[in-house]
Amino acid sequence: MGVIDRTFLGVVSLLKETVSNDEIASRKGFLQGGDPRLKCLSIALMLLSVVLARNIIEVCGIYAITLLLALTSAIGFGYFLKRTLLFIPLFSLFIVIPAIFSVVTPGTPVVSLDGVWRGLSITRQGIDSSMIFFMRVLASVSLAILLMLTTRHHVLLKVLRIFKVPQLFVMTMGMTYRYIYLLLDIVQKTFIAVKSRVGSISSTKTGRGIVTANMAGLWLKSYRMQNQVYDAMLSRGYTGEPRVLVEFHARPMDFIMFATALMALIGTLWINRFFL
Amino acid sequence: MDQPIFSLTDVDYSYPGNIPALRNVSLSIAKGQRVAIIGANGTGKSTLLTMLDALIFPSSGTISGLGKTLTEKTMADAAVQRAFRSSVGFVFQNPDIQLFCPTVKEDILFGPLQLGVAKEEIMRRFDSIVERMRLSPLLERSPHQLSIGEKKKAAIASMLIIEPQVLLLDEPTAGLDPQTTRDIIAVIVDAHKAGKTVVMATHDLHLVEEIADVVHVFGDARSIIRGGTPEEILSDNEFLKQHNLVHVHVHRHLHTVHAHPH
Repeated sequence: MGVIDRTFLGVVSLLKETVSNDEIASRKGFLQGGDPRLKCLSIALMLLSVVLARNIIEVCGIYAITLLLALTSAIGFGYFLKRTLLFIPLFSLFIVIPAIFSVVTPGTPVVSLDGVWRGLSITRQGIDSSMIFFMRVLASVSLAILLMLTTRHHVLLKVLRIFKVPQLFVMTMGMTYRYIYLLLDIVQKTFIAVKSRVGSISSTKTGRGIVTANMAGLWLKSYRMQNQVYDAMLSRGYTGEPRVLVEFHARPMDFIMFATALMALIGTLWINRFFL
Repeated sequence: MDQPIFSLTDVDYSYPGNIPALRNVSLSIAKGQRVAIIGANGTGKSTLLTMLDALIFPSSGTISGLGKTLTEKTMADAAVQRAFRSSVGFVFQNPDIQLFCPTVKEDILFGPLQLGVAKEEIMRRFDSIVERMRLSPLLERSPHQLSIGEKKKAAIASMLIIEPQVLLLDEPTAGLDPQTTRDIIAVIVDAHKAGKTVVMATHDLHLVEEIADVVHVFGDARSIIRGGTPEEILSDNEFLKQHNLVHVHVHRHLHTVHAHPH
């Protein structure tokens, strides 16, 4: 399989995985059933707590709550860990590893590396700051992924309205998401049509030529479609400021979750103020 | 004849690049009439419907609809536009164009929300149309997850919820299975019984008698070459063959070879 085939299949697979989020968001779980406005606010408060926490135990506590929420929301534990832990080491290790050494974080030596570099050591303060950084990233990413997994895309967009994001922006995002699939479908069919006529694409140069030509074709199609979609909107009374129906219903459990998240934030600030 | 709800006089229209789409079209559509627009591909049927929906305007000639001359200037008036959009509904040929919201439910609700219909009234219409078209299982789904038949139904529902006086339908049954075709035809027939004017472009000639009182045929010159009742038009096989609307289908019944227009 050539590089173009692999790239193409990789993009398709990534997008299909995004679609499968809708499947998880439709399951009957704790976070799926609630009012998305309170859910988003609660998760935002928990994220704020993670950012403000100076003690690793606090961050670990919030991470434990995140895992508990994932478990009660019909998300497989292994799947959730895979989604969160897969990328975190990649991005955070580049920052964490230098930070444990005395050249970046001076402090009490735990392991001396004098043999490698004179005066170099791994410090307690370096390990502590690296650990809390790693846990902050892990907890933050887990909370964000939890929100994404348990909330359908269009609901998440609606919730943006309560944060006063302009409706036009929200609608544009929704339409972008909607039409990515349509254009992807066109790309996929074009790819199959090309393969059916030329067999396997033997050289990268030929492949690049085909892809370039199809990109131009796709651009023209999407441009034409954009005009047609605008006509379809005008036809149903659109005048420039879209109106939507917001119909969320809060349960007592949503308020309890919100209160818990608020208490976690207040507790973090209180610990920071009086104990650290 | 009743007061025309639409009237076109000597209308020409060209797409950018001077590509002709309509030539010298004159047409009158009465209130409550059922009109079928037939013609081979690329003869101007969709362009005509787009113009009847005041999304494009003649390069020359005039079009009037609902008692007003339709021009970009008249449609720029918010009150005129709202009245027109509340009265004329258009189902596009490609449902993917029409279903632009993240879910089917939002797509159905889009029209009346933009037109300022009261929330209670919107929900009354919504419940009625969802039940009528059996759309409940699709409401929370994204349009990209639907079959072509489901998309067409959702697109029609998104137009019907506006409760327009005039229904413009661009090949609503193209490429559909027989049951979905019947469902959609039943909805159109019901709409007409409720007093709506129906203008439908179609290639399905076997449906024309059922859904139309008047047929206008578009030719390669992108103008109307003939108009008449469905009986008059559909009984003229030579004319239909000449304009690429039927072909002679040859098949075998046991030992007899049989040929007829299809």
